[in-house]
Amino acid sequence: MDDGLLWLAGVNLVLWTGLFLYMLRVERRIRQEEDR
Amino acid sequence: MSTLLRWILWLWISLVILGALLWAPVAQGFAGLDGASPQTSRIVFFHVPFSVGSFVGFVASGVWSVLYLWRRREKDDRAAAAAVEVSLVFCALATLTGAMWSRVQWGAYWNWDPRQTSIALALVFYGAYLSLRGALEDPEVRARISGAYAALGLVVAPFLFFIMPRMASFSLHPKPAGSEMDPRIGSVVGAGILGFSLLFFWMQNLRCRTLALEADDDFDGDRDNG
Repeated sequence: MDDGLLWLAGVNLVLWTGLFLYMLRVERRIRQEEDR
Repeated sequence: MSTLLRWILWLWISLVILGALLWAPVAQGFAGLDGASPQTSRIVFFHVPFSVGSFVGFVASGVWSVLYLWRRREKDDRAAAAAVEVSLVFCALATLTGAMWSRVQWGAYWNWDPRQTSIALALVFYGAYLSLRGALEDPEVRARISGAYAALGLVVAPFLFFIMPRMASFSLHPKPAGSEMDPRIGSVVGAGILGFSLLFFWMQNLRCRTLALEADDDFDGDRDNG
């Protein structure tokens, strides 16, 4: 298996997971504001 | 429950990424110029879902705009505006990934190919929507005029995405593959389209709720759930 593709997959997964966790945090903040 | 669904979406798109880069084979006949690796064609697994996601979003903004013009509910106007904002991000990413592939396959980032031109026109059309909203201060006037503009997009978007690229007698852009394509490629592209579309609606929902909170803030300084 191509090492470059493995590295690229890893980087993409890290970026996607970071975006996902950020969106979860934003949603939690929005819900707090809506419930106030 | 909704958090569980979010994590399922995380897993779905993670599997799309892994499938695109490690499982699906490279499409036949996509050797790049100047000896570039055929592996560069894997960018199509991201380019197509971004493109389809942006089209879905532009159509959704048109539908919400029609709903606003019919029912005059502010939440429909906010939903339309949020849909355009997120769709523009997806459209820009589709343009960027397309340009990267264009460089490898055809030797230049931009060739004024009919499909490249049509996606650039889509960016201009919907970018103008945001400019229009920014120029109109009165909320009701802004909602009505931008709503009519986005409703027009229900004709413009299908024309730009599907009709204009096919009107040209020649295009560098690959045609959709038929039954000769490896089924793994179709599976990953299909899964990517579904995953990215769901991601679009989640982003649109967050943006829409943020706009609602901002509108409540402007109205009377108190928060309500409207």
